[in-house]
Amino acid sequence: MDTGLFREYTTDGFFDEAFDAGGGVREHYRSLIERLDDIPPEDLERRERIRDAIFRTQGITFTVYGDGEGVERTFPMDLIPRVIPAEEWDVVEAGVIQRVTALNRFLDDLYVGERAALHDGIVPRWLVRTAADFRREAFGIPVPFEARCLVSGVDLIRDHEGTYRVLEDNLRNPSGISYVLENRVAMTRVLPVAFARHRVRPVDQYGQLLLNALRSVAPPAAGEQPLAVVLTPGVHNSAYFEHAFLARQMGIELVEGRDLVVDEHVVSMRTTRGLRRVDVIYRRIDDEFLDPVVFRPDSALGVPGLMSAARAGNVTVVNAVGNGVADDKAFYAYVPALIRYYLGEEPILPNVDTYLLWDDEQRQHVLDNLGSMVVKPVAESGGYGMLIGPAAEEDEIERFRELIENDPRGYIAQDVVQLSRHPTLVGDHLEGRHVDLRPFAIAGERIEVIPGGLTRVALRKGSLVVNSSQGGGSKDTWVLEHDPISVGDDDGEDA
Amino acid sequence: MRFDIRYTSRFDYASPISESQNALRACPTSDDRQTVSHYRVVTRPSARVHSYVDYWGTRVDTFGIRAPHESLEVVAECTVDTTPSRAVTVGPRPWDVYEERFRDEHLEFLAPSSHVTFSGEVSRVAAEKAEQAGDDLVGTVLSLHRLVGTSFEYAPGATYVGVDVDELFATRQGVCQDFAHVLIAMCRSIGVPARYVSGYYFAVQDDSSDEPDVDEVDVQTHAWVEAAIPEHGWLALDPTNRQQVGERHVKIGHGRDYDDVAPLKGTYIGGARHDLNAGVHMRRMVAAQEQQQQQ
Amino acid sequence: MLARLAENLFWAGRYIERAEDTARMVDVTYHTLLESPPQETTHAYTQLLEVLHLTGAYEASGGGDRAITPEDVCAFLVRDPGNAGSIVSSISYARENARSVRELISSELWEAVNHLHFTLRARDLDADLADQPFELFRIVKQSCQTVSGVALETMPRDDAWRFLTLGRQLERAEMTCRLLNVRFSQLVDYSAPVAFHHWIAVLKSASGLEAFRKRYRASMDPSEVVEFLLLAPDFPRSVRFALETAERQLDHLGGRTGRATRLLGRTRASLQYRDVVELMDEGLHPFLDQLQDEVAAVADAVATEFFRQSPEGSMYAVATT
Repeated sequence: MDTGLFREYTTDGFFDEAFDAGGGVREHYRSLIERLDDIPPEDLERRERIRDAIFRTQGITFTVYGDGEGVERTFPMDLIPRVIPAEEWDVVEAGVIQRVTALNRFLDDLYVGERAALHDGIVPRWLVRTAADFRREAFGIPVPFEARCLVSGVDLIRDHEGTYRVLEDNLRNPSGISYVLENRVAMTRVLPVAFARHRVRPVDQYGQLLLNALRSVAPPAAGEQPLAVVLTPGVHNSAYFEHAFLARQMGIELVEGRDLVVDEHVVSMRTTRGLRRVDVIYRRIDDEFLDPVVFRPDSALGVPGLMSAARAGNVTVVNAVGNGVADDKAFYAYVPALIRYYLGEEPILPNVDTYLLWDDEQRQHVLDNLGSMVVKPVAESGGYGMLIGPAAEEDEIERFRELIENDPRGYIAQDVVQLSRHPTLVGDHLEGRHVDLRPFAIAGERIEVIPGGLTRVALRKGSLVVNSSQGGGSKDTWVLEHDPISVGDDDGEDA
Repeated sequence: MRFDIRYTSRFDYASPISESQNALRACPTSDDRQTVSHYRVVTRPSARVHSYVDYWGTRVDTFGIRAPHESLEVVAECTVDTTPSRAVTVGPRPWDVYEERFRDEHLEFLAPSSHVTFSGEVSRVAAEKAEQAGDDLVGTVLSLHRLVGTSFEYAPGATYVGVDVDELFATRQGVCQDFAHVLIAMCRSIGVPARYVSGYYFAVQDDSSDEPDVDEVDVQTHAWVEAAIPEHGWLALDPTNRQQVGERHVKIGHGRDYDDVAPLKGTYIGGARHDLNAGVHMRRMVAAQEQQQQQ
Repeated sequence: MLARLAENLFWAGRYIERAEDTARMVDVTYHTLLESPPQETTHAYTQLLEVLHLTGAYEASGGGDRAITPEDVCAFLVRDPGNAGSIVSSISYARENARSVRELISSELWEAVNHLHFTLRARDLDADLADQPFELFRIVKQSCQTVSGVALETMPRDDAWRFLTLGRQLERAEMTCRLLNVRFSQLVDYSAPVAFHHWIAVLKSASGLEAFRKRYRASMDPSEVVEFLLLAPDFPRSVRFALETAERQLDHLGGRTGRATRLLGRTRASLQYRDVVELMDEGLHPFLDQLQDEVAAVADAVATEFFRQSPEGSMYAVATT
């Protein structure tokens, strides 16, 4: 590692995905790094150009809002993929399935069931009732298979010991799957030889899996061939590309609210040949904008009467309305307890330790140590409104002190987790950058996790913020197949 | 008392409208004070009605009319038997409302909500009244109720839905929902859980007596307040009519404020201008009442 | 197909054609008047705004009372973003509409529209209008034709193609009527020999001079120009040709009531069997006005037949008293 791309690489005491503490290459990265070492630095530029051309022609963009008009940007994909060995993935997969199962059980119980977890004091009743995204309007609307979180994107990080931990659950409208699929397409062209040397599990079945799951939750009133659509707020939404992408992947219609009309509690889309009944709506519109009769009366994005159609059992809204109550960052602290309560199992993936600020002792501890804490508002997503203590100026810390004291329910705090790092291309060489991982789970009759997921990387040196809106990039994520030969064998000899 | 009630809303649109979607909350609730024996909804043009019971326990009738139409008439008819409110027989102290389980139970009726905000003046006046009433919680609530009833002027058309409680407090004018919102705000500001009730009220000329002088009245939907009293339950107060809720009050449902239990709301496509004729016809069934008393 | 997307396609087609034809009309007006006396120039630009139905908008843009000068009218028609009918606005609307149907059109078509939009945005249009309007109009016309060509070569003949074409051809029929109207009203006496170069300009602006010459040889009779641009069965910019093309799209699209097809068929037939001498005797203006109304009625019928009617929604809540 003293020449070529890795000539200045150090792990700096962080957990590095590719190198162990002693600087040795981890087994599952050996082949990739050998191959990368073969590539002369000047060749990388050419490969980056290939990548950029692919992304441009695919029109893969997200919109960044600055002054006035939104600007379309591509989400930068780093050329160096992340590799996850099969055994490690097995744990991630099982952990995600376990977590989503428990959350679906809880949400179903909350909205259409006995609310057992509340009665039994597993989650405080007040916590649910004060959650901004608790939707009383969704009471009594069932979803087949309890698949209220039909799509979830659980954010995982690895701490300084390499332990995978859950950071957020993202049960509302997680985005990013389009990058997972497009990154893979780009990678197979940019690093074809390296890719071919690995047995990487495919991700391109996502569209089919999602479509099958959507159809499987169609209401009983739907016929043999339920019609599903993707509902988008429109071209001006920052994730519009992904909405269009998903509709195309599934071969179904991408509609806006005004394309749909409710008649006799049945939802239809307006086509040039008249109305056509819709059975399942994969909506990428926030709850509050779905139906002006029930939610915000000023919403022009939604479909008047949609909630009553859902109630009447004529359409299924995916993800279910009201999941956000379990996305509340204070609620998150109770998920391990919910897993034990509903499943009788120990959580496979631990949480990050979280301080609940309405508790006097915990709040005092946090206020005394704000400079070393991460503070997050409970109802935000996308990395907005956070305090990262070690990187913050004194006045910002004081501002958060006040925010917490005025609204202890509105924030949570966590110790700063030193996210794992991964070799990332910086100019003509590689440096370690912090990464996280968002695997996507699809729930229907059963829950499946797409092998891979979105690895986001904080491109700025030292930064811990990986969000696309905050200077993050992404990596293709290679989950390796189990090696059939290596079972019970001394593996790795021929690497 | 038994009532036959007919709720009517008729919209006449300046130009034809289409794709109307509506949610009606007009069906009386059944609880320990009243029993509904009959309820039906008819719309013209006719529509398929889908009904459900919402989070707050109120029956909601939803319906839509897609084809263009120039008017919409919604009629809800019901028969309901009412009994007087239970008398308060306990004497809780003001601090009893801070008991943890009591607060947790009534959390949603303690926090500010979109029409019930209490900063400044409202809280100050409520605190002053509470101070005067001393250790008597029920007395405190009743004095707030009297305060709203006597210092506010009933003025139809003076307000619109969405007016701020502090603003109401300044103008001291409003309609029943405003009276209710102000009283709720005052209760909540001193820690007493309070909720908004929508319903019908058999109003008569001489309001000093509970003996109606007629058997039929034409009124509008009404609103009042329920305050939670430890060890007793909900104490129902009608600040607009300066009385406690009695047999002549028919409850539809309750919520945090008007938004949770608005009688009729919806959307449609087309010009915004319309004439609305809304009314409630109530008939007191004497025979039925006597029958009831014999049982 | 979703009604909204069909509508977007229809309008993408209309706006592209509108941009191109507006460029043609401003171009021909500008270049034939270079050496004309000021009075005639003012008259011509007044008429131009009139046939484009933009007189009111023009006046309003100057706060109610705006003098007619070639510079101001050209700027208004070419680059004023406040004028919904300007070339820049039309291209921008075309792009907006195309953007919402990116899933339905070829990426080449999208790129062509996008490219045109950004080409115009990158140019200093005031300098263009001052120095070389000819070059600017050439670019607009050529780019719009590139868009057409790309569409022709890359789009399958599906419903998306048909709505795009339908919009484009109906707009063309209407705009060709206007082109004739503007030239005839700009001339005080259109049979005078001095008018000769005007007819050349009209034909040029419809890219029809060569085709016209092949057919009519050396003659330049106004009625022949009218016949050619209105009634020629084989010239792609004639009104008849445009309506026939539109009609073929409607035949495939069907429609629930068939009203648009009926209206269009009637109008097309009235052109098909029209005699140009009679027409000139009866008066060209009333005829062109009526024809425009009929084409507009077809467009209305298409909207009713296929697109969603989308007036604003209203919210109400009945208060309690």
